Amino acid sequence: MTHKDRFFFLLLLPAAALLMLFIVIPVGQSFFLSFHRVISGLPQLGEAMVGLENYRNLLHDDVARHSLWITVIFVGVTTFFELLIGLFLALLMHRRFPGRGALRAAVLIPWAIPTVVAAQMWRFLMNDAYGMINYLAFGTKIDCYIPWLAYPATALGAIILADIWKTASFAALLILAGLQVIPREIHQAGLVDGAGTWRRFRHITWPLIRPAVMVALLFRTIDAFRVFDLAYVLTQGGPADATNVLQLYGYKKMFVEGWMGYGSAISVCIFMLALFLAIIYVRAVGRHLLEARV
Amino acid sequence: MQGASASEYLWICTEGVPGFSRIPKECSGIHITSKKAYMIMRRLLSKIAICGILILWAPLVDVVSAAKDTTEIVFLTWKPNQPEVWNKLIQQFHEKHPHITVKRQVCPHSSTEYHAIITQRLKNRDVSVDVFLMDVVWPPEFANAGWALDLSSRFPEAEQEKFLAGPISAGIYHEKIYGVPCYMAAGLFYYRKDLLEKYHFDPPATWAEMIEQGNIILSDHKNPGMVIYSAQFKQYEGLVCNMLEFLRSNGGEILDQKTGQVLLDQAPALEAISFVRDHIIGKAAPRGVVTYEEPESLSLFTQGKTIFHRNWPYAWAVANDPEKSTVSGKVGVGSLPAFEGHDHAATLGGWHFGINAFSIHQEAAWQFIQFMASKESQKTLALKAGLAPTRKSVYEDPVIQQKMPHLIAFLPSLKKAVSRPLSPIYPMISQELQRFFSAAIVHENEALPSMAHASAVRLKKLLELEAMIAK
Repeated sequence: MTHKDRFFFLLLLPAAALLMLFIVIPVGQSFFLSFHRVISGLPQLGEAMVGLENYRNLLHDDVARHSLWITVIFVGVTTFFELLIGLFLALLMHRRFPGRGALRAAVLIPWAIPTVVAAQMWRFLMNDAYGMINYLAFGTKIDCYIPWLAYPATALGAIILADIWKTASFAALLILAGLQVIPREIHQAGLVDGAGTWRRFRHITWPLIRPAVMVALLFRTIDAFRVFDLAYVLTQGGPADATNVLQLYGYKKMFVEGWMGYGSAISVCIFMLALFLAIIYVRAVGRHLLEARV
Repeated sequence: MQGASASEYLWICTEGVPGFSRIPKECSGIHITSKKAYMIMRRLLSKIAICGILILWAPLVDVVSAAKDTTEIVFLTWKPNQPEVWNKLIQQFHEKHPHITVKRQVCPHSSTEYHAIITQRLKNRDVSVDVFLMDVVWPPEFANAGWALDLSSRFPEAEQEKFLAGPISAGIYHEKIYGVPCYMAAGLFYYRKDLLEKYHFDPPATWAEMIEQGNIILSDHKNPGMVIYSAQFKQYEGLVCNMLEFLRSNGGEILDQKTGQVLLDQAPALEAISFVRDHIIGKAAPRGVVTYEEPESLSLFTQGKTIFHRNWPYAWAVANDPEKSTVSGKVGVGSLPAFEGHDHAATLGGWHFGINAFSIHQEAAWQFIQFMASKESQKTLALKAGLAPTRKSVYEDPVIQQKMPHLIAFLPSLKKAVSRPLSPIYPMISQELQRFFSAAIVHENEALPSMAHASAVRLKKLLELEAMIAK
């Protein structure tokens, strides 16, 4: 190791230590706990090693299965619409027009707001007595007002909508980055050859931004799988477990019920699912995307 | 052209965004020589080390100064509605006990969130907590886990008899007492006295009568936003309290605590639940109640939009505060209705004081609890914060009788109030009940008996867990 190498290594140390402290150790602890029967209210049970008992129970847990479905629906719908809207926004932001800088900044705002604050805002908007959405839809006819968060389907719709509003801009930024690296000459060549707007999009833009779209897809899917705060603030899982996403279910098991082993098993499953998805995506997209090009 | 690198993406993403100062692209490689950077880092590291020493030193200084003559105890509590009343009581305690300093640590207002925080701290044997408030359903859990100190020798039966029986029995687990009742609550029935008088109605004795009276009043009123009833039906702890009142006022129960039998899927319980689903949700009460906790449902009442309302004792003061309520002075209160041929029911609520079993200031903590649970303190909490006392003698106090006559009206419900299932795994039981009740009242078309059966099976599994510790 040269003097320079050692110096770089030294610079990496703080980051490595933080990763160790906040990611590697907790994840390891979750794995460890998930193989034990730990219930904080019943210390008499000890912390017996129970092997795969928690995972076996999880397989037969109807509530968990329901939560998994809810989460899959959430991930599917939000990712699809976020990418679609993100693509549209990115194409818009890519055009040259006065006030483009301001628009780009404005698009970032929903993404920059902390999720808890955004969720609280949506809770007010969806309120059945004074919600803005009801006012826009029905004006002063208050007997028509709909309690959006009171029906299972609309409550799930509400957290999906809030997530799309909040993170479509993130997808837009990633796709915009992809758009900006397309050399102008290719478009000009297409124009000279008589290609229309659609053909230029279909045969020039789309193939070239596809890698960026894939990266956005990867980030959004994995992130959506870990949704917690929106459901926690908007509905706390209700009504009738309609928004009880997996993370929230795991949180309730662990911190509300004190069932540490079982809750950990749920977290580990979410972790494995996200990891599995990440590996598939990275393989599909190609490794080179995530490595800095030299 | 096969896509761009991650750093390039980041670069382009920030273009044109105000506030993002951009480093010239040429600088992306490191140009500072490593030797120079090494010097900078070394200077920085020495500063970090100095800070570290200072941080480590601080608690030591603290310990030395604390060792002089005062004991500091930490009182863990939720965020109160009237913090000034609690501050005043603590100040009075300081005047009486100059050698003890009480530091209040405030947690979230929600009981469930407060529970999550306090159990995390006690589970980790955190000695920095001395006194805490315990929800009336927690003592079995805290006692069994060894978090709450056994107070039997300090709080003997002769002393316990000065309190109302309901809260005392909630503080007992396996014949030992772990909590001193601070204040109590019970599900109460609030109604619009003025409207009932106008139509010459007595407060309804049965749920059916309530709906009948309500329909007559509403058909006359022609106010589109007006409804009959509001209560708490969101999927949270309050739902269990509300549904339990419906169940019990029909002779139903969740479980038989003596035999360990689950009664949730039996006829009386199912009848009560289907009544709520078919006649309350979306009918007598707006559909929105399945998203309501106490404040939302109370605001419907204080805005004059509902005739009947179920809430805890604290709602009395709010409903009669002219600044917060349009129905101030028009409010009556009494016991919740029941089903035909059955007795009224009320769910017991309220809070106990407990001492951390790992506390190193147990004696000081006990002195603080004694002060807070004294007759004088309970009077202050009643008069200034509207909290219902747990000491019998406070109800006989002339000042209380004169200034708070409604407390005497609460008394029948307070005395009759029955606790939720007492179990060290109550949080698990409650989560299951919340899930079941919410599903039962939200899904109109699903077969209730099969849902109840599935839930009963899950409850039985939980009870098996609890039974394992008895062996």
